[in-house]
Amino acid sequence: MTRRYWNINLEEMMEAGVHFGHGTRKWNPKMAPYISAKRKGIHITNLTRTARFLSEACDLVFDAASRGKQFLIVGTKNKEADSVAWAAIRAGCHYVNKKWLGGMLTNWSTTETRLHKFRDLRTEQKIGGLNRLPKRDAAMLKRQLSHLQTYLGGIKYMTRLPDIVIIVDQHEEYTALQECITLGIPTICLIDTNCDPDLADISIPANDDAISSIRLILNKLVFAICEGRSGYNRNP
Amino acid sequence: MATSLTSSLSSTFSALSLRRFSLLPTPHHPTSLSLPKPLNFPSIKTQSTDIDTIYFENDDPDEITTFNPPEKPEGFEPPPSFDEGPQETEEQIALAYEELYGPAYSGESLLGNNVNVMDSKVKKTNTFGKVKKEKIRDGFEERVVQVRRVTKVVKGGKQMHFRAVVVVGDKKGQVGVGVGKAKEVVSAVQKSATNARRNIVTVPMTKYLTFPHRCDGDYGAAKVMLRPASPGTGVIAGGSVRIVLEMAGVENALGKQLGSNNALNNARATVVAVQQMRQFSEVARDRGIPMEELWK
Repeated sequence: MTRRYWNINLEEMMEAGVHFGHGTRKWNPKMAPYISAKRKGIHITNLTRTARFLSEACDLVFDAASRGKQFLIVGTKNKEADSVAWAAIRAGCHYVNKKWLGGMLTNWSTTETRLHKFRDLRTEQKIGGLNRLPKRDAAMLKRQLSHLQTYLGGIKYMTRLPDIVIIVDQHEEYTALQECITLGIPTICLIDTNCDPDLADISIPANDDAISSIRLILNKLVFAICEGRSGYNRNP
Repeated sequence: MATSLTSSLSSTFSALSLRRFSLLPTPHHPTSLSLPKPLNFPSIKTQSTDIDTIYFENDDPDEITTFNPPEKPEGFEPPPSFDEGPQETEEQIALAYEELYGPAYSGESLLGNNVNVMDSKVKKTNTFGKVKKEKIRDGFEERVVQVRRVTKVVKGGKQMHFRAVVVVGDKKGQVGVGVGKAKEVVSAVQKSATNARRNIVTVPMTKYLTFPHRCDGDYGAAKVMLRPASPGTGVIAGGSVRIVLEMAGVENALGKQLGSNNALNNARATVVAVQQMRQFSEVARDRGIPMEELWK
């Protein structure tokens, strides 16, 4: 696999605050190799390693996208929800914005049933079938539709299980990570100082609290996906 | 090198099975194109006047101290961040997605594809009341070891369920044991068959369709002893052990249930015993000695 240039600047990462970790008391000792210092009760991650892992992750993602694999980005914290959605739309990947429903991947057959219902409701809405029902039924169906839109809106184009899953905060999305592990799906995860680096396949030690750091890393990954996809479209 | 990790990852994509990879920090060999100012935190230690900062000792000799990305290609401009740049309208977004994935579950189609493309996945409900029994798929044969009626006592009375233990195997060395519970026998058998298909093991067999060596396995209170036999013996074992061995395709073996007689636990114990067996060629390869040494 060729290593490409991904415009990863250590100065840029420091500006975005990627090197800040969580408080000292909350750390996971398995993260010791990736922590370089401790300042004012906060762990500081080693940015050279972060840059290294980030470029490896970008290479992997570029390679997978050029083979036409499907991605899924998971990020459910309130602050990041919007950026996750925009990033995924820009890259053309599926995403999970709001709560990750338990069993979304391991219980894929049930999720498919919900997606079918979502699709039927959408078609009904488009052809105006909701206006012919009495008001109460129409209101119920509209509510169901909005629920399905918030939870499943990002995966409505997903026909089968994704090939790579990108998780934004390991602590928060622990269920999603466990599901991918049971199914054997490779994962790329943003690790903070209180997370376990051995769970994901590629873990990028970074700050998961600041939006700027998440945006920076998502930018790089999305860029890699776009590049890979454009290569794929020419040679399928 | 980084290429070893990422090449192994790319090779797994070409294979259908996805294994888990271990995360090892690959040793990095600094090239001549190193950054002018490598960020080595220990060297900054002496210049720092911040007494609150405590630096960790990096003990790993193979650690990555410099980050050497490949060279910047000429004329490279950083792409716009995803929230700057023109916001795409919903139509454009839907169009882009549909080009990639087809209309899937979106309910609308801008490129003229069939909206109901995912309907073939839905199992058509039979117009008759009874569901047709599914044919044997994947070449695996199922055999029911035991069906029991189990009871849960609640305030209103007793609730009955059926628990089925099923052994699934092709007769070529793959077996699996599964359990399933349901309110009806048939659905319990189906559930246990799906469960069995998830935990399949391979049985190491010699060319005379028997084991390479004797082995004991235990699960819970059930202890099972398995012993190879010469061709023409057949499977001489009782109950669930016999069923597991038959579905694996083993023709000649001896087996004895030494502990409890519980069917499910004995089936699981034979699976455990079979997993511990090794072929002679494997052992010789791992130990690095020729096979003749093993028979001395």
